[in-house]
Amino acid sequence: MARTRRIDTGELPEAEAIRLAQQGDAAAFERLYRLHNRRVYSLCLRMVGNTAEAEDLTQEAFLQLFRKIATFRGESAFSTWLHRLAVNVVLMKLRKKSGNESSLEELTEPDEDSGGPRRDFGAPDLRLSGSIDRVNLQRAVEQLPPGYKSVFVLHDVQGYEHNEIAEIMACSIGNSKSQLHKARMRLRELLHEALRAQAREDRKAASAETGGKD
Amino acid sequence: MATITCREFLDHLEPWMEGERPQDSLAHVRTCANCSSVIKDLEAIHSEARSWSASEQDAPERVWTSLRAQLEQEGLIRETTPARESTAHAAAPRRGWFAGLFPRLPRPVLAGAYLAALVAVAFALSGPVNKRVNEARWLKGTQISTSPLSAQLNFAEQNSHSYVTRSNPVVAASLHQNLAIVDNYIALCEKSVSEDPQNEVARDYLYEAYQQKADLLTQLTERGENVQ
Repeated sequence: MARTRRIDTGELPEAEAIRLAQQGDAAAFERLYRLHNRRVYSLCLRMVGNTAEAEDLTQEAFLQLFRKIATFRGESAFSTWLHRLAVNVVLMKLRKKSGNESSLEELTEPDEDSGGPRRDFGAPDLRLSGSIDRVNLQRAVEQLPPGYKSVFVLHDVQGYEHNEIAEIMACSIGNSKSQLHKARMRLRELLHEALRAQAREDRKAASAETGGKD
Repeated sequence: MATITCREFLDHLEPWMEGERPQDSLAHVRTCANCSSVIKDLEAIHSEARSWSASEQDAPERVWTSLRAQLEQEGLIRETTPARESTAHAAAPRRGWFAGLFPRLPRPVLAGAYLAALVAVAFALSGPVNKRVNEARWLKGTQISTSPLSAQLNFAEQNSHSYVTRSNPVVAASLHQNLAIVDNYIALCEKSVSEDPQNEVARDYLYEAYQQKADLLTQLTERGENVQ
């Protein structure tokens, strides 16, 4: 049946797909979705750390994209435009979740006392190198303020350049660099805290074992 | 060489991570285990995060399925691709599959024949669905709610009106007559769907009907543009 058949959208170039999607062409919409869904889904997943929420956010981002696609004039790259929408969708979601109506500036410039990195080096006796893995880093990323998280995921995970991030986040390149640095420093702190907590647990377990033998 | 303190180095850490290597920072890192350790930590974080992109996966297929359903519900997409066809066959005038069977016939005749055939086939095939339609209510002209797609088409029809009036009156009358046939067909299909929303056949006929109207409106617009 015409409505349910899978349309072959394989080779349609992005520019052509955009033009056709602006006319409501279903196959073009699907082509654009297939071209970009992986990156958008990954971005959402890294930002919220939960597959069900990431799926909802991916759908919402594309829905907004397709609602607005007629207004796309190509001033910026299509992927940049799409990522801007996706980041905004995620940030809105995170804001609602925290019940916080804070501005984007607040999300990207947290108070140094409440989430910003401290300007020190952390405990010198603990070394992160070799102890960072996917699980503990993801856990730390989830604890980042949303603005830091966005820049970190866009740059370090997805490989965007600062000028692209500046466009996506509607900020300056310098701001993007600064946010990224603060995000990494904050992650280092969080990973150190996790290591220290783990070390405490290990000591407790060891002393309990020793106590049990006495 | 001038040396810097750890706190001063911390101020230079951001550009350092961006690749800048001033001599005083280099000298400091060579001799300071703490600062050297911070750099290694940050590089390890960056490196681990970068490795994540290799395992990126597509969103599950249900995301597209759900998204597509929503796009259809909002009337944002349509199945036909007139513009795409025109791109693929840029040199050739746009003709439907039915028109392609009879290339020498004038367009108004084709349009009428096309719609008549479509309606006849649709009625024949949708017999079981149509049986469910309440004939009495239909004859009384009961209005059913229009979908967003239907509303969009009606809007397009209004816009096309000015084009039609500028074209040949005979052609305009013929096309209007065809539009009326399609509108009746749409109304019938909408009624069937509203009575049995789960009926896949009825829904497909409805979409086909919308499709025909969209095609007809495109023809109206093209004709009007040719007249201008």
